[in-house]
Amino acid sequence: MSTLYLDRPSPIHRLNPITKLIGVLAIILLVFALPYWWAPLAILVLVVVPAALLARVGGRLLLVGGAILVPLLLVVAIGQGFFNTRGETILFSIGSFDFALEGVLFAAAVGGRTAVLVTAAMLLLLTTHPGKLLSALSQNGMPPKMAYVISSTLQMLPAFRTRADSIILAQRSRGLKTRGNPIRRFAVLIPLLSPLILGVFVDVDERSTAMEARAFASTGPRTALEIVKDPVGEKVARWVVMLLAVGALVVSFMGLYPEMSWPL
Amino acid sequence: MTGVHYAYPDADHEVLTGVDLSVDAGQVVGIVGASGAGKTTLAKSIAGFIPHSEGGELTGSVVVDGLKVADATLAQVVSRVGLVTQNPFNQISGAKYTVREEIAFGLENLGVPRDEMSERVDAVGTRLGIRELFERSPYALSGGQMQLVAIASMMIMAPRVLVMDEPTSQLDPSGSRLVFDIVNGLADDGTAVVIFEHKLELLREHADVLHVLADGVIARSGSAREVLADPRTDEWGVGSTRFTRAARRAIEQKLLPATTALPVSLEDAKAVFSK
Repeated sequence: MSTLYLDRPSPIHRLNPITKLIGVLAIILLVFALPYWWAPLAILVLVVVPAALLARVGGRLLLVGGAILVPLLLVVAIGQGFFNTRGETILFSIGSFDFALEGVLFAAAVGGRTAVLVTAAMLLLLTTHPGKLLSALSQNGMPPKMAYVISSTLQMLPAFRTRADSIILAQRSRGLKTRGNPIRRFAVLIPLLSPLILGVFVDVDERSTAMEARAFASTGPRTALEIVKDPVGEKVARWVVMLLAVGALVVSFMGLYPEMSWPL
Repeated sequence: MTGVHYAYPDADHEVLTGVDLSVDAGQVVGIVGASGAGKTTLAKSIAGFIPHSEGGELTGSVVVDGLKVADATLAQVVSRVGLVTQNPFNQISGAKYTVREEIAFGLENLGVPRDEMSERVDAVGTRLGIRELFERSPYALSGGQMQLVAIASMMIMAPRVLVMDEPTSQLDPSGSRLVFDIVNGLADDGTAVVIFEHKLELLREHADVLHVLADGVIARSGSAREVLADPRTDEWGVGSTRFTRAARRAIEQKLLPATTALPVSLEDAKAVFSK
């Protein structure tokens, strides 16, 4: 399987991909517009999690999102805890380094926004086939080549991972030790990179030949075999959601949000 | 194709060093050669990707269906020549949700009306026996199924010439045989097929003409039977059929006279060894 997409008979899957894309953009705008520490958490609990459950991709979202977020958030929390310049409330010390509450709170705010951003984007990928996204973007006026870049990029990471797994397996079968402490694991990356990158170049060259052989470079008008459904209700919903998100951003810029007891 | 020489950009030697080749409508032409002989380069030259996409310097003349490749745009060439390559994974566009849409991708790019597209997709799917795959994701297919989809994706564009660069390299014996049956069907409909292949016994059965490409030139041409019985096939790195190898060993062990005509098929071998 080359994409993150999971085929499920759910209402989220049936939404027009543009609607989902706009939804994700709106969520991202909102988490950065709302100046409250609890806003990302609220969006996560009230929007992302129910949508993931409705789409029946909750387990996979937890797995993939966790693999990205847990190490990232740990690094941010440790870094901010020790080195945030506003740190005054010391929780504990290691040698001459103090671990401060303010740093952890700042990391929580950044981490919350990052978590929403990552999980919302993952939800889009898990419930939207890149091909359908490409068709929807093209049918909404995006130049096919640009739409293809977006669509194929969505498929690039899983394909990259599959190729890396095969290379590691081949190298392990020839005696390379790929397990053990973090230093050893990092050292494995060096022999992995060269075949991985060269292989990707070959793939890109072959795929571009195959695409040109199928007239992808044609400049004439194009048609579509399958039309992606785009009901009026969804079009209206997209405008409403986007207006709300932009409105939230404008209010934020104007500094009109009431201050909370613990704004970050 | 007349007197074609070609060197890749910044290369210090030519890969093709004077290739003359002609293919008639409805003909299946097999091309064999060792790895590095220039097969893929020749395939891309016929299909117009050399020099249009790859760059480099091509001299000589390549004419396809009356169109001089050097003077035409790549879009004009690909409307006449289809290219199927050996890695099915890289021939899947990555842009489509189902096999049905994947097959139609080329026609969409050419702006073919939806109804006509749908009819042509159904027709090509029926012909290749892959209609049961239509609603599946192209990435959920086996290598053999993906290759059939890649062939269907080219067939649907109705090229006058179909170039196939080792199309069966990742297929099992039955899949390989199916590809050659498809090739013969296309030739019966008037398509010229140029197939670069290592599976000599399938070429012997299906190719009308066989060429050996060695060191960038056509070193030998003739019927598959004539070419495969040529004692220089090992020298060219082409290999030989199991029947030819068995006969050579029998000659070495003086079980057969040295003047024995080398067999290239089971029937030939039966005749030779029954003596």
